Amino acid sequence: MPLETESRAQIRALISEFRPNHGDLLAAMHRVQHEYGYLSREAMEVIGEQLHLFAAQVYGAASYYEEFRFEPPAAVDIRWCSGPACRARNGGGIRDAILATLRVPMDGQTEDGRVGIRLGQCIGTCELAPQVWIEERATHTNEVVGELNAAKAIKIARALRDGATAREVLGQEVLRG
Amino acid sequence: MVSANPTGTPLERYEALKAPAEAAYAAWRAPERARIDVAIDTSSLANGAKATRAAIAARIAETNATVDLGQNHGYGMQWLQPLVTITFPDGAAVVYGPVKAEQAAAIVDIATGRTPATSTLAIGTVAGTREGIPSLRDHPFFALEPKTGRRLIHRLGLTDPENMQHYLGTGGYHAAARMLDRHQSPAQVRQELIDSALGGRGGGNFPAGTKWNFLATAPGDEHYVICNADEGDPGAWVNRVIMEGDPHLLIEGVLIAAYATGSKGGFIYVRDEYPLAIARLEAAVREAEAAGLLGDGVLGTSMNFELRVIRGAGAYVCGEETGLINSIQDGRGMPRVKPPFPAGSGVFFKPSNVNNVETYANAPMVVEHGAQWYLEYGTERMRGTRLFSFSGDIQRVGFMEIPFGVPLAGVIEACGGMLPGQQLKAIQSGGPLGSMLPAREVPNLSMENAPFSALDALMGGGGIVFLGDQVCTIHMAEMFTQFVEEESCGRCTTCHGGNQRQTEIIRRTIAGDGRHEDRHNLALIDRTLQFSNCVHGQFSPKIVRNTLRFFSDEYERHSAGRTCDALECEGLIRFRVTNQSDPRLAEAQDICPTAAVIGGPGARSVDDALCIRCGACTDVAPNALVREAKPATPRMVAIG
Ligand SMILES: Cc1cc2nc3c(=O)[nH]c(=O)nc-3n(C[C@H](O)[C@H](O)[C@H](O)COP(=O)(O)O)c2cc1C
Ligand code: SF4
Ligand code: SF4
Ligand code: FES
Repeated sequence: MPLETESRAQIRALISEFRPNHGDLLAAMHRVQHEYGYLSREAMEVIGEQLHLFAAQVYGAASYYEEFRFEPPAAVDIRWCSGPACRARNGGGIRDAILATLRVPMDGQTEDGRVGIRLGQCIGTCELAPQVWIEERATHTNEVVGELNAAKAIKIARALRDGATAREVLGQEVLRG
Repeated sequence: MVSANPTGTPLERYEALKAPAEAAYAAWRAPERARIDVAIDTSSLANGAKATRAAIAARIAETNATVDLGQNHGYGMQWLQPLVTITFPDGAAVVYGPVKAEQAAAIVDIATGRTPATSTLAIGTVAGTREGIPSLRDHPFFALEPKTGRRLIHRLGLTDPENMQHYLGTGGYHAAARMLDRHQSPAQVRQELIDSALGGRGGGNFPAGTKWNFLATAPGDEHYVICNADEGDPGAWVNRVIMEGDPHLLIEGVLIAAYATGSKGGFIYVRDEYPLAIARLEAAVREAEAAGLLGDGVLGTSMNFELRVIRGAGAYVCGEETGLINSIQDGRGMPRVKPPFPAGSGVFFKPSNVNNVETYANAPMVVEHGAQWYLEYGTERMRGTRLFSFSGDIQRVGFMEIPFGVPLAGVIEACGGMLPGQQLKAIQSGGPLGSMLPAREVPNLSMENAPFSALDALMGGGGIVFLGDQVCTIHMAEMFTQFVEEESCGRCTTCHGGNQRQTEIIRRTIAGDGRHEDRHNLALIDRTLQFSNCVHGQFSPKIVRNTLRFFSDEYERHSAGRTCDALECEGLIRFRVTNQSDPRLAEAQDICPTAAVIGGPGARSVDDALCIRCGACTDVAPNALVREAKPATPRMVAIG
């Protein structure tokens, strides 16, 4: 068993309530990701020890889901809605515009880690189609920006890329016009 | 917090919970001073309800207004969010919307009586009357809802979903308490369900009571009830509405199922995308435990029932029941081969029952009012009412509870018809494994499975998207092929590989490279996919099949004709500068994310090789550039 370091002890404490064969794996992974932003190799090992699973099993499960990450997340994610009501109003153009602005693939992030784009699924706020959600980790912001078009999406992506915070972007006049 | 009564029969214990709750709810409905309830749900929050609430709170503080501030769930009219309800001391309640932060002062003034209740923002009354304001029920959006009022979602807008007293005070948990008081045996409950003909709301319409019988008669005494709240179909959010709007209703439904099937444990598996539903359900479960309605010795009986809320993590096929079960038990949420069905081997390999949120949520009604009452609405094949969410290019986006069988044409009318300047082109139902039907079939469609199945279509789990004539169906089909490809779990080569091929062909067609043999190959892929293990693979070619059948001309225009009339398909369109002197052209050049607008003033043009067809330039300068059909380029023909 690997040496018990301080960071391992911290992770272990975080998930101490979870038990093997009890349907706790998803909850444990969510807990760790909420705290650290992603699942490190070390975290997956500790989760495995706690739940009596091989780290490979933990990784195997985690990698199956869209939500779990293995690298630190961007400071702000633009979550792009891939649903039909959004797509009917140039949702695809909005996606391509953001990707081109940030010069990253879907689920990627800028090199400085400032901003990323992630694939989102319809949450049933289609009255505001087309839309993206702005998710900022530090401030626990998660807000829908609706009635978008490609030009507004580019302005949002540029502002975030150039260092604006989610709050600044969400307050922008750009989003109203 | 509601706390448990330590003695008495189940009904006595229940009455002890209910009496104070009823009083509290009555006081809430006819408050001493006016109260403003801001709808707090996923839709209202997206529309700025938090800012509205903060502005109202600030205004109340500023003006020392003798008004309280509370919350409820929206009524279904999502296009009018944020919705706000004012309840006056006489018990009259008026719904207003959309109430943005800027309207906070006006709302507070109405609540204090400084200005009359009639305002341009007034939509209708939900309780009592107010001169000059119609009843909300008379709004055309609700024309198809049961005349006697909503059944499944009757609490929405009239309770605070985070207040258990409101659930108890409106008769909640009575069905469960009476049942536990030996009013009905488990077998009687199951029979009532069978008599009501309640069908599974996940899409299949399988009789819930019959499924409960499978579990009740399964061997062993470790049984589980599982609630499928994965709601993965884009455009469907009806389960969300129940969980956010009336979480205890779902809990009571699952509790009834547990009693009827002899289950000691239960899981509600909620998709990760619904954090508010998860939070409200988790809080409601804790409250129900504290009230003695869950946990050991439910209402003093020998029934033990532990209910857990599981948070999914974004995988569509976890909505398939065996995928869901695998996901709960520490693994990859991959669907497996059936049989065994969940009643034979479910979670932790123990007999289990999987039902949709809305299926369980109907159970309290059936148990409370009996099968006969339940059968009043619906059709021969599909009984009762169901929730639908309507979206797309209609005037009124939202959800409603309607009896099965109402004509689709009526639905479109209730939704206010299409947006100005648009004609209905396609009806997308049943999610990515569902269908796409043309507008001309509207007269043949009503809201139940049979007329959809007759057209090789699927009504599905409650989401219907109406697409206007600006939409290209080939382009839309690509969205779904990509979805089913990405969400394939990878177990079957048919599904995993077949969907990749299907997407490639549709993509190539969009890129302007359709081939004569594509139709034949798509049919082959279709046939192959039918042999996949689960319904995901089996139904994944459905939308393309529908498209080729019902939008055959449009497909041929793309494939052979190299033309996208809706001007959406990337390879068949281009952007071109049409007005050099438009001052906005410079702005267009600036916004272009790929620097495809080249040249200086007076000589700007779009470099087609750089252009990604995002449309940002025409967003900012609609009169300076056009999106247009790409002129046909002569194709290379091999000579030899
Ligand atoms: C790929 C796939 C996704 C599904 N997603 C859901 C879902 O999100 N919600 C749901 O209730 N049923 C879903 N189902 C159907 C379930 O497998 C199952 O039939 C259903 O939960 C049974 O509940 P019911 O009888 O109450 O409808 C899905 C099926 C497949 C094949
Ligand atoms: S059909 Fe597709 S989703 Fe279903 S088990 Fe096979 S690969 Fe997985
Ligand atoms: S469509 Fe997008 S990429 Fe093409 S010229 Fe316009 S802004 Fe640039
Ligand atoms: S399609 Fe984007 S929110 Fe529903």
